[in-house]
Amino acid sequence: MTDTPPHPTDPFDAEALNAAEGLDPVDPAYAQVLRIATALNLIPLAIGASVFDALLIRHLEGPYGLITAAAWVIAAIVIVSFPSRRVSRWGYRIGEGQLRVARGWLFRTDTIVPFVRVQHIDVGQGPIERWFGLSHLIVHTSGTHNSTVTLPGLHSDLAAAMRETIRRHIQTDFA
Amino acid sequence: MSDAAAIATTEVEPDWQRLHPATLALAVVKLGPRSLNFLPAVAALGFTGNWIWIVPAVGAFLLISLAAAWFQWLRFRFLVGDDEVVIESGVLSRQHRTIPFDRIQDVSIEQGLVARALGIAKVGFETGAGGKENDASLDAIALGSAQALRTTIRAHRSGEVAAPVAADAPEAAPAQEDRLLFTMTPRQLLIAGLFNFSLAALAVVGAGMQFFDGLLPFDFNVFNPRDWIDVAEDYGLDQWLLAHRWIAGVGAVVSLLLIGFASGIATMFFANWDFRLTREPRALRRTRGLTTRTDVAVPVKRVQAAILVTGWFRQRFGWHELRLQSLASDGEKERDHQVVPFAKLDAIDPVLAEVAIRRPDAGQSWQHSHRIVALGGLIGAVGATVGGLVAVSFGQDLGWFGPALGLLIGAGSLFGARFHRWADLGEQVAIRRGAWKPKTTLLPHASVQSVDLKSDFILRPLGLATLVFGVPGGSSLGAHEIPAIPLAAAQDLRTRILAARARS
Repeated sequence: MTDTPPHPTDPFDAEALNAAEGLDPVDPAYAQVLRIATALNLIPLAIGASVFDALLIRHLEGPYGLITAAAWVIAAIVIVSFPSRRVSRWGYRIGEGQLRVARGWLFRTDTIVPFVRVQHIDVGQGPIERWFGLSHLIVHTSGTHNSTVTLPGLHSDLAAAMRETIRRHIQTDFA
Repeated sequence: MSDAAAIATTEVEPDWQRLHPATLALAVVKLGPRSLNFLPAVAALGFTGNWIWIVPAVGAFLLISLAAAWFQWLRFRFLVGDDEVVIESGVLSRQHRTIPFDRIQDVSIEQGLVARALGIAKVGFETGAGGKENDASLDAIALGSAQALRTTIRAHRSGEVAAPVAADAPEAAPAQEDRLLFTMTPRQLLIAGLFNFSLAALAVVGAGMQFFDGLLPFDFNVFNPRDWIDVAEDYGLDQWLLAHRWIAGVGAVVSLLLIGFASGIATMFFANWDFRLTREPRALRRTRGLTTRTDVAVPVKRVQAAILVTGWFRQRFGWHELRLQSLASDGEKERDHQVVPFAKLDAIDPVLAEVAIRRPDAGQSWQHSHRIVALGGLIGAVGATVGGLVAVSFGQDLGWFGPALGLLIGAGSLFGARFHRWADLGEQVAIRRGAWKPKTTLLPHASVQSVDLKSDFILRPLGLATLVFGVPGGSSLGAHEIPAIPLAAAQDLRTRILAARARS
């Protein structure tokens, strides 16, 4: 898209963000997971808005149809466009004895957990994730803040491999 | 020593011990508040006219409670073995718990008022397991055997090779005998109490009176000014007050001051009477309290951070309070340990030296957070101002409080923003914040479990970031964070902290 080196503070060039910070992107299929999860949350809300519209606004002889249309349009926009943007703002880096997880744009958090500080590790998979062959990795530390660090959108094999990497470090450091 | 307390049972193993029989007396005392639960039942009996049943019902309740306490006492036994404590408890569902001495970080001894009269103490085993409910306790055994038990466990711990796993342990291992680090004399307590001026007690009593307003047998509420005015009118006092309103005002202020000082001194005396902080081979031990004496140990290796707290006024006299953040929590309500309640810095320094934490000296150059940290307060101020002005526009004169409050909040947050500062001391980070109640957190790099580098749509255009540290053990004084510092400085500090860890 651009020939100039990506500027890390360009809010519209999300791909450049991870590259500039030396982070690997999560699996693009995670966008589908997020999309389905968002849809499962928003469609009931939109249905609720439609029912509200049909029962109340029509009864009050107000502008019937406005709320229904707005709810469905907003839901469609959020479901279609937001998940892929959110996914592109997740990034991780594993290596040099530490796990780095970055997420978010408006409120961006970049977390580093050294392997030696990991208490235990979970690899989890929800039903939607299983459908796409993805897993999430949860790292537990003994800190009160950041007691769990979650990294979603990993291919199941990759998540297992990362778990093994971290586990080896825990063993070598505490054995 | 233990013979006085523990009755050996006639089991096969002669070492099984029971709790002190006086525990039953304690159970009787505890029955008092608990019988309040029974009041509705009594009331119900009374309302339905079954008066004759009240006494039998109360009797049955007491009998059942006492029997339950007796059974619990009978079924609770513990065994102090060569290298472990075994506790068996439970009437219907039995629980068998084994705690190896190796896993006991320390033994705490606590005595309430009744327990002191009976010469018994509650012994708690601090195992470092997450959650208070996971720690075992013996409630209660004789004070002598409690101390003997603690000595046994401590002897076991110091007998083994003192292998300092963590690098932050002080090198020159102190002598085996305990050293007194810090005490508070009544004179110091008095000074501390004077600085502890607080009108909170007044508010509590006032709230209580409000609550009991309808319950009082007489129609006079001490905290209701209208009642006072009525009395004054009855006796013609109002004329006198109007004539001498200056004297009345001064009198009110003086009495308020008196109450504030008295409550400050009283709380200080009750909490910190005979305060002793001793250095033991593995831990700092703190005993304190006038009515309830507590005996708490903070294992030195488990100390994660030190927090120096002072106040804008007491700071001018050099008075500080030292708290240590540890993996083990201090009782149920406090998350960190107050190890020095009130002292000058030269008295605090030896304590800090014991936990191998250095205090930045006066010449330390501090780096400041960006002024943008005042933004939250400023938004609040704008909100209050707008809200107040809207109220005024609707003809509500009280709304003028809004702009006044907003101005105060805004000025306060702008002023306070100047006090957010930090310094990297090489092995540890020092974070200062607060103008009204300045806090200095001394956080060794080795305690940091994870680092967050946060930025948002406000900080990012300014090239700023906030560092948040994940540190074991909680602190009531908030998260460990350095807000709004230049991005490059934040990244640099993060790298250094993570590099320091690799060494240990």
